[in-house]
Amino acid sequence: MASNLYKYYEEMRAKGTILYFNGPVSQTMVEGLAGLMREKMRAEDAGMASVQRVFSILVEQMQNIVRYSSERSLHACEGLGEMAHGQVVVGRESDGSFFVACGNKVRAEDVDRLASQLEALRAMGRQDLKAYYRERRRSLPDTDSKGAGLGFIEMARQSSRPMDYDFVPLDCETSFFSMKVVAQ
Amino acid sequence: MTRFSVQATKSSPHIDFDPETRILEIRGESYPENCSGFYGPVFDWLERFLSDARNDRVELNMEILYFNSSSSKTFMDLFDMLDSEAAKGRTIVVNWRYHEENETAMECGEEFMEDVQNIRFNLVEYVD
Repeated sequence: MASNLYKYYEEMRAKGTILYFNGPVSQTMVEGLAGLMREKMRAEDAGMASVQRVFSILVEQMQNIVRYSSERSLHACEGLGEMAHGQVVVGRESDGSFFVACGNKVRAEDVDRLASQLEALRAMGRQDLKAYYRERRRSLPDTDSKGAGLGFIEMARQSSRPMDYDFVPLDCETSFFSMKVVAQ
Repeated sequence: MTRFSVQATKSSPHIDFDPETRILEIRGESYPENCSGFYGPVFDWLERFLSDARNDRVELNMEILYFNSSSSKTFMDLFDMLDSEAAKGRTIVVNWRYHEENETAMECGEEFMEDVQNIRFNLVEYVD
């Protein structure tokens, strides 16, 4: 195990990884990691727009893990908020643009719905996304989900290209979901 | 009515609603774990305030550095509530404040402004 860590370290560095997290995600973790990433980017003089896009995508992805990851802590106490297992990566593409990726287990029955949402967003241009966002913001009922169901559209609007996603079936009940957003 | 006041946290804004001056303020960041849970009491207070305060002018100052998609939905609901009140003839002013370098906040303000009819929605730029 110990000797593997250097291999991971080098692999991550070679791939332009800035931040990699795999473990329990809670709201506190969302605030901590997103805040840390924002501080780091500010310290390195990244433009304000770029800092905000990365922060925003990171928050949306991590809050999705907290809300929807099907792998959850059995010991979550009342009042301490939800804790769910997931993975987050922030890094830079070879052209210098930032990307944010996440991965977590989801229920197999949700795969078709998620895939068709993401597929629809991939086909939309900037103006379509804006119109769709405003329409959904008005029409979505609160009861539909713990969030507002707007997160994917928000991320698509911050993305410089159609968002990448993948599902790996694990067993009858579970798939592994991952997505990657390259910030504008 | 009593004044409604909530301290800011890392992921939720400072809220100060004064029924005497009828000036409402929401300032900070907004990405709480449970958005409807956090803003529920805000809507409850506002509903009572609006039915109480008859036709007096109401001013809402909003200075939000970042808000997540759930908060965006919540703010739309908030503006819709104020908009239907303004439709009855009450003057409602929303000042959407943003830092001159915060383009995202300005664009978000513009999108909210386009989505309301009766509120006087002002985009207010500030510098340090």
